[in-house]
Amino acid sequence: MGQYRQPIISTCHFVSYQVEILDWKTKKQLCFLDKVEPNATIREIRLMFHKLYPRWYPARQSIKLDPKGKSLRDEEILQHLPVGTTATLYFKDLGPQIGWTTVFLIEYTGPLFIYFLFYFRMPFVYGLDERFTSSPHPVVNLACICHSFHYIKRLIETVFVHRFSHGTMPLRNIVKNCLYYWGFAAWLAYYINHPLYTPPSYGKKQINSAVIMFLLCEAGNFSIHVALSDLRRNGSKIRKIPYPTKNPFTWLFFFVSCPNYTYEVGTWISFTIMTQCVPVGLFTLLCFIQMTIWAKDKHCTYLREFKDYPSLRMPIIPFLL
Amino acid sequence: MAASGSGGSRADNGYGSQQPRRRKGPGALATAYLVIYNVVMTAGWLVIAVGLVRAYLAKGSYHSLYYSIEKPLKFFQTGALLEILHCAFGIVPSSVVLTAFQVMSRVFLTWAVTHSVKEVQTEDSVLLFVVAWTITEIIRYSFYTFSLLNHLPYLIKWARYTLFIVLYPMGVSGELLTIYAALPFVRQSGLYSISLPNKYNFSFDYYTFLILVMISYIPIFPQLYFHMLHQRRKVLSHTEEHKKSE
Repeated sequence: MGQYRQPIISTCHFVSYQVEILDWKTKKQLCFLDKVEPNATIREIRLMFHKLYPRWYPARQSIKLDPKGKSLRDEEILQHLPVGTTATLYFKDLGPQIGWTTVFLIEYTGPLFIYFLFYFRMPFVYGLDERFTSSPHPVVNLACICHSFHYIKRLIETVFVHRFSHGTMPLRNIVKNCLYYWGFAAWLAYYINHPLYTPPSYGKKQINSAVIMFLLCEAGNFSIHVALSDLRRNGSKIRKIPYPTKNPFTWLFFFVSCPNYTYEVGTWISFTIMTQCVPVGLFTLLCFIQMTIWAKDKHCTYLREFKDYPSLRMPIIPFLL
Repeated sequence: MAASGSGGSRADNGYGSQQPRRRKGPGALATAYLVIYNVVMTAGWLVIAVGLVRAYLAKGSYHSLYYSIEKPLKFFQTGALLEILHCAFGIVPSSVVLTAFQVMSRVFLTWAVTHSVKEVQTEDSVLLFVVAWTITEIIRYSFYTFSLLNHLPYLIKWARYTLFIVLYPMGVSGELLTIYAALPFVRQSGLYSISLPNKYNFSFDYYTFLILVMISYIPIFPQLYFHMLHQRRKVLSHTEEHKKSE
């Protein structure tokens, strides 16, 4: 804390602020910070609070102006907030946090391995008579390759490509997300690798076109992730408008704000066509709904932050949605 | 997904408590429509109530009363689907998801269980939930009607927030017993079940689904019940204070 105090002593014309932090629910005073520099950021206040309460590390803290309002961002500066020289802030514990990289690694490793349990027909999955047998349909092997490829690609991207703008998510959410991803992976894998699986109605033609579409969408998705990551190359956290680059896959940026989601939905649609399996279709539908919500969110943020945002762009589907 | 058909008796959930505040929202036309809808629904459930009483008096026994009210029950319970649309269009300020969940669970029980499994129609458990629903719905729809007209008698308000204490567990037991009674017949006939192989690569076992529905009552019932008790404390204690001060 000493490093913040220093300038106040040397420059006496500064009015120092007093900050009290109350519990958002009980309104009990948790701490009182005397002599806080006016241009202290919320990040610095979080650190001071953390010193007093070691178990509430900064990412766990939600600091608000109003007990039921929005959390203040790290970069916000005390003197720019609508407070007097004695600021009252409210603290809410967000619960244990976990880094995004870890979250993604756990979420994506699950489906990868769960799928194999069904592909190799582990004992008790389809009954003991069927254990370790393999399907006579080549599309089942192809589907396994595509599914594994999809999740391995995601894992590689998580480690080498993605740059996360903000650090963590609540531990509670990871349980929910894992149930969703792992549960669906098991459900899909059960039907695709079932001994009574029926291959697609239009045979090779259907499978081949689905594989081509699948590969194109994966390439597109990867290109967008690289393009987004390049926007933050020098570790900057400033939001920028992503524009199409030389890579033709990124040209979808002309029409939508989140082409990575468009491509992702495309991969799942092609996987549905390839396997001709209703549960895969249901999963695709749920993914589409979820990603549309995220895309609309991000689209709105872009519109709010940039006045010159390209007006042709839609959130996820060109010209439509 | 399996839980979507459950939720049981909508003894009441308190979402209608916002009804009186609705005034600012919809225009005169929507209000008029809602009044008509609620009056019709109140009348419909009254028809069912009268039908039950008459059939009981005529027969002198409470067994198999279901057949005497089968048609109006199906009609007016299915008519509750409109409530989902009301929420979706925003003329009633309740959560679409919650309302859909509750209405669908009832419609599910009416059509996918009682209508579909003929063997359970003679069970007394059917009467148990039918009576609970009938009383609940008469009070609930008249509560909405009077609220819309801005003349809510205290008795109706009190009944809406009190009778559920008995009617809700009663309805839920009726529903659970009916589903339980349907299980062996569903298993025997393979009703609504899809088995592999088929070209959609999908299977569905209605028997297992019904068991999952029954299990889903365990977490949902206490939650709704305590929510209602909480609502009751809030709404009724508030009015009593209000009355005293007047």
